[in-house]
Amino acid sequence: MRKMGALLLSAAMVLSLAACGGSGNQAGSSAAQTAETTAAGTTAGTTAGTTAGTLSVAIWDKNQEPGLTKILEDFTAETGIKAKIQVTPWEQYWTMLEAGATGGSLPDVFWMHSNEFSRYAEYEMLLDLNDRIAGSDKIELDKFPADIIDLYTWNDKQYAVPKDIDTIALWYNKTMFDEAGLSYPDASWTWDDFAEACQKLTKADGSQYGYSLKPSNNQDGWYNMVYDFGGEIISEDQKSSGFDKAGTIAAIEFVTDLVKQGYTPSYETMTENNPEALFEAGTVGMITMGSWMLPELCNNDYVKANGDIAVLPKGTETGRRSSIYNGLGWAAAVNTQMPEEAWSLIEYMGSQKAQQKQSDLGVVISAYEGTTDNWIATYPDFNLQAYLDMMGDMVIRPHSKTTVTWENMTSEKLVDAWTGARSVQDVCADIAEEMNSLLASE
Amino acid sequence: MTVKTKRKGTRQSRNEFIWGWIFLLPTMAGLMILNIIPIFQTVYQSFFKTGAFGKGNVFIGLDNYIKMAGDSAVWQALFNTFKYTLVEVPVSIVIAIILAVLINQKLRGRTVYRVIYFLPMVAAPAAVAMVWRWLYNTEFGLLNHLRNMAGLGSVSWISNPRIAFISVAVVGIWSVIGYNMVLFLAGLQEIPRDFYEAASIDGANGIYQFFRITLPLISPTMFFVTVTRTIGALQVFDSIYMMMDRTNPALPKTQSLVYLFYKYSFTEGNKGYGSAIVVLLLAVIMVITVIQMICQKKWVSYN
Repeated sequence: MRKMGALLLSAAMVLSLAACGGSGNQAGSSAAQTAETTAAGTTAGTTAGTTAGTLSVAIWDKNQEPGLTKILEDFTAETGIKAKIQVTPWEQYWTMLEAGATGGSLPDVFWMHSNEFSRYAEYEMLLDLNDRIAGSDKIELDKFPADIIDLYTWNDKQYAVPKDIDTIALWYNKTMFDEAGLSYPDASWTWDDFAEACQKLTKADGSQYGYSLKPSNNQDGWYNMVYDFGGEIISEDQKSSGFDKAGTIAAIEFVTDLVKQGYTPSYETMTENNPEALFEAGTVGMITMGSWMLPELCNNDYVKANGDIAVLPKGTETGRRSSIYNGLGWAAAVNTQMPEEAWSLIEYMGSQKAQQKQSDLGVVISAYEGTTDNWIATYPDFNLQAYLDMMGDMVIRPHSKTTVTWENMTSEKLVDAWTGARSVQDVCADIAEEMNSLLASE
Repeated sequence: MTVKTKRKGTRQSRNEFIWGWIFLLPTMAGLMILNIIPIFQTVYQSFFKTGAFGKGNVFIGLDNYIKMAGDSAVWQALFNTFKYTLVEVPVSIVIAIILAVLINQKLRGRTVYRVIYFLPMVAAPAAVAMVWRWLYNTEFGLLNHLRNMAGLGSVSWISNPRIAFISVAVVGIWSVIGYNMVLFLAGLQEIPRDFYEAASIDGANGIYQFFRITLPLISPTMFFVTVTRTIGALQVFDSIYMMMDRTNPALPKTQSLVYLFYKYSFTEGNKGYGSAIVVLLLAVIMVITVIQMICQKKWVSYN
């Protein structure tokens, strides 16, 4: 029995250690999976008798898959190159891509995000598109916003072609506004008007509040206020933090005051529930949401009956109405078996024709200048024009090489400001100090 | 003649030796490739400032460990992990023993009960955590709904720093009871019936029998369950990761060492520092297990 016990114990030790390495194994298996699908794609291509195999295209948003599949069908009809989309949800997408990059089996073509781009470019995982873009008659980089081009430039070389842009707008519950006797938000609204409406929409019994957001909702939440209040998140040269600026502190005080005064649900409720869920449940009267949330909100029955969209309020003193924006890029793997085919696909996706179709199908707001007018027809019941109006003063999403690290640090530290455990001033001073040291070590 | 038998015996034992190793080989290979080599790689990696994609690693000696020693989040996480373990392990063992003893009786439909209690073990941990996340939800959760119906106020089960670790531990206990129970059942069935018969004749009641016969005789199983569950509880990750948002105010007082390891290694791409944290965890688990092995002499009776 004693021997038996010892045996069981050693088995248990080993099992537990295996659990330790669990996440690593998981990453490995997803790499294997990607490799497998790529291989399967290649064989399918050869048996079909085409000149090339099938390109694997990795994306993370399943809402965009149907529209992009249509565009890719056009691409195949025009060039004879086959392509197949694989959707991996955002949470696993970067694990999959990282494992693919480490194991040398990246998808041929994939979406790139400004948070992660610098790592992939620095370690030479992406196909250099510089000469190809210069020699192309389909891609005209000056038709895209310069900020988005810059996002995907590394050492003066272009590694991705812009795909889309996003803007932020204000969603409000018409029924609640009518009930409170308030007029609907419009372009004349300042953030002070917004705060006043929050107060009037809040009911004493806790069944209804004015507004909701999470500290991690930065691009679609308090970042916009920071710029409208005259502050900034990061300096233009990306070398120093903007959290010690008076405007930044004022904006964060503005939004945490809403929480303190009870115009939002309790902080606990806000971290446990996404703002859109609270809006869809009729708990809050207003939320700020990015254009990427349209398929979620516009297809919700409660929102269809009660919701509409307006432009964000403007800064009371500055009069500024900014929208923090970001854009994805199409990139290719440096070691793809089919670089020319992969480039053709990226070139096609960046052409005016495909960009126009992307907007027309309502997939997203295309990045290409002048292709967005038909986009508002996607959900005719809602005032999508507000999202296009927000393009007047766009600020590129604050970023540097280690965006994820300081963004996470910021949202963790801000918890104390949100709950009122510490003053906004102190928390911001802390954030500025730590962010500056992170930026210095980049 | 004697020489011949000796040689024959040698051949046979050599044969057994070879076959023994051949049978061991698949397990050994799996252990080496999936567990033992990665352990050494993790330790090795903890001395580096890691780049990305397995490239660009820079040797920095003990810097990760020095940073860790001064990182209050790590020590808080270690404390949180102990707190969690101290709730999860004893409670799950006590409940599991009671259930095992009850189910070990001649009971109508006891296989059904066994299946029901074992079910949580079969369910995917992530799915379990998602369901509990909704039960615990402050605004829409079933628990608070029931409390409100009873005229009580809402409780922030997973956002209040003082109770969040207990809420997480309840999910852990709920998930592991069935597994512990099955092990105890196996231990109970090894106890000969005559012990109880003799005790009954001597006039010992059920509770006396439980403490004087059942408990001592299943102490080896109990030791095994305690050691394995302690190791398991010290590695808690998935329920915290699934149930708590990064901006949850209770997170600093709830996050475990493995959660921090995941955060640094996979979210922020700092694999060197993540490895140092997980090496600390490995050391802690080893020390605790060794202490348990030494202490077993005091309370475990092997017949």
